[in-house]
Amino acid sequence: MANPYLVVENLTKVYERGQVVALRDLSFSVEKGEFLVVIGLSGSGKSTLLRCINRLVEPTKGKIYLDGVDVTRLSSARMRRVRRRIGMIFQQFNLIDRSTAIGNVLTGRLGYTPAWRALLGWFSKADRDRALANLERVGLRDKAYVRADQLSGGQRQRVGIARALMQEPELLLADEPVSALDPATSHSVMQYLEQMNREDGVTVLASLHFLSLARRYGTRIIALKDGQLVFDGPPGAIDDTRFKEIYGEEAEEVEVR
Amino acid sequence: MGTRGGWAALRRRSLSFFLDWLAWGYIAYTVMYLLNHYWYTVYVDWYGTLKLPSWGWPLVVLGTLELAVWSRALGRSLGLRAFGLEVTCPSLGRRILRAFLWHVSVLPLGIGVWLGRGEPWHDRLAGTRVRAVPKEPERPGRRALATQWGAMAAVLLVLTLWLGWLIIGINLQVLGRRAPWAAGIWRQMLRPDFRYFLESDPAFALRNLPFSILDLMVVTIFMAFLATVLGAAVAFPLSFFGARNIMGFSPVGWAVYGLTRGFFNVFRSIETILWAVVFAVWVGFGTFAGVLALTIHTIAALGKLYSEQVEGVSPGPLEAVWAAGGSRWQVVRYAVLPQVVPSFWAFTLYRWDINVRMATVIALVGGGGIGDMLFYYKNLSDWPKVGAVVMVIVAVVWTMDYLSGRLRERIT
Repeated sequence: MANPYLVVENLTKVYERGQVVALRDLSFSVEKGEFLVVIGLSGSGKSTLLRCINRLVEPTKGKIYLDGVDVTRLSSARMRRVRRRIGMIFQQFNLIDRSTAIGNVLTGRLGYTPAWRALLGWFSKADRDRALANLERVGLRDKAYVRADQLSGGQRQRVGIARALMQEPELLLADEPVSALDPATSHSVMQYLEQMNREDGVTVLASLHFLSLARRYGTRIIALKDGQLVFDGPPGAIDDTRFKEIYGEEAEEVEVR
Repeated sequence: MGTRGGWAALRRRSLSFFLDWLAWGYIAYTVMYLLNHYWYTVYVDWYGTLKLPSWGWPLVVLGTLELAVWSRALGRSLGLRAFGLEVTCPSLGRRILRAFLWHVSVLPLGIGVWLGRGEPWHDRLAGTRVRAVPKEPERPGRRALATQWGAMAAVLLVLTLWLGWLIIGINLQVLGRRAPWAAGIWRQMLRPDFRYFLESDPAFALRNLPFSILDLMVVTIFMAFLATVLGAAVAFPLSFFGARNIMGFSPVGWAVYGLTRGFFNVFRSIETILWAVVFAVWVGFGTFAGVLALTIHTIAALGKLYSEQVEGVSPGPLEAVWAAGGSRWQVVRYAVLPQVVPSFWAFTLYRWDINVRMATVIALVGGGGIGDMLFYYKNLSDWPKVGAVVMVIVAVVWTMDYLSGRLRERIT
């Protein structure tokens, strides 16, 4: 039997300052093509988990296999090559405000660009065309030369998606991609992620705040509480009792339509 | 007790005691200085060596010691306030008792402190305690005494100002008496003589070359321009080595960071004028020495400002470039640079302002430029020509200031 695409084994992360345990002995696996949603309260370790996978955060203990390769042991040069295949989008979009939309999108290509060309900012014609095509895909072709700080929140996140698309990723990590957006915009952004997942076969790991969004878009849900796995299963399996387990007794479910 | 916490607390109260003692010592010194100045009772020569009779020194030491002890016993002294301590205050009598007991407990080589194990004898016997000020003040005791440290601070401030006034030699009478004479010079300067604005002055020459005011002004602007550009060019790459968020990943990185920041701080604290002295000796009087001096100070000053900007960038875009598989230099180029470039320009233009102003006076110590002419005419007391040079300097500095201000507005 083939191994799963992504395997997380006994992952533990302790932040040195204050000895905060963000993740405790976490194990799960993800098959290729899944849309896995990570839910949990703020501070439950969702962001840390996603950042451990591309090692923006260095895991304290445990192993992470991507396509059979243990990424926790890779040298920084080889880690860079792995990161090229892992797209990431962020809660706060993490765009350069003073740069144009296309300038931001092109930075997604840096992992593939030779050092001297990158230094001078000479992206190849193919990359520029690809950037325009990706902006077209997220419906922002006409905003390509507008500065990022002139765009609305939803538009900024779509620039972030186009930037991730530049990497032609196999895996997309989405760290609370819609928490800074209003409900209508949230759905439009989530639909782009869904499209990447269905049409390009990108495996998606997205952390989300709202259970309704998780149910609507996820093919599977895992839930974290205090850095531990408290649920792993299909979206339909989260009933009222499960919900209270994850979010605490006082929690009320809020719908995002 | 005798625990770690006990020793830390003991050190804290000892330091606060020495601060009080020092404060009283300072007051004693100041008072003696003032007595000497106004009544010649104690001899103090101008740089402050006290000439006291042989019994005088012990008297001062013991007197201030007593004052420190009693000020701490009777209220909240400056030292207690500075270290966030207070003496619990059952009654005035107990506190007076504590001050007497202090002599028995501390003076014989601190025996009562060592044997008291964190609670010295004088505290035990008087029933008082020295403790950190609690978060919620329920302030027992007398209000007037509790605020004694404020009065002490006020006295220190007033005495220091008084002393400073005397040491510096501020003399308002002279200021008034010689005003008419100065006004004469001002009047001459306000009737400037622009004869040598375009034409060179036959009497004035630098290295056997004649110069007009305009010539030298242009030279001065060039000096400032060259120093700013060269300084910025060196400070720019250096500033990344002086930024914690770029270098702080390895011990070597920390070492480079420390060295770079150290270089910036030391070289920045030596004023341009002093650098000009150094370089005038090194490469001879003239504009070359001036440019070197301006450049080196520009490097250090801009380097520090640049580094702080680099440290202040928002980390989000850096994370995005890392996540896309970017290398460290790509992170700097694509996530840090775009965030800092506008403020780099603003700082450089501001520095250009400063350099123009510095370049006009640097000739005073052999740095060359328009200042050569200014001080030449000043030494001849040729006030109308001094006036002309000053007016040109003011016009140029003001214009540069205005231009750089406008440019900065457009950038940020």
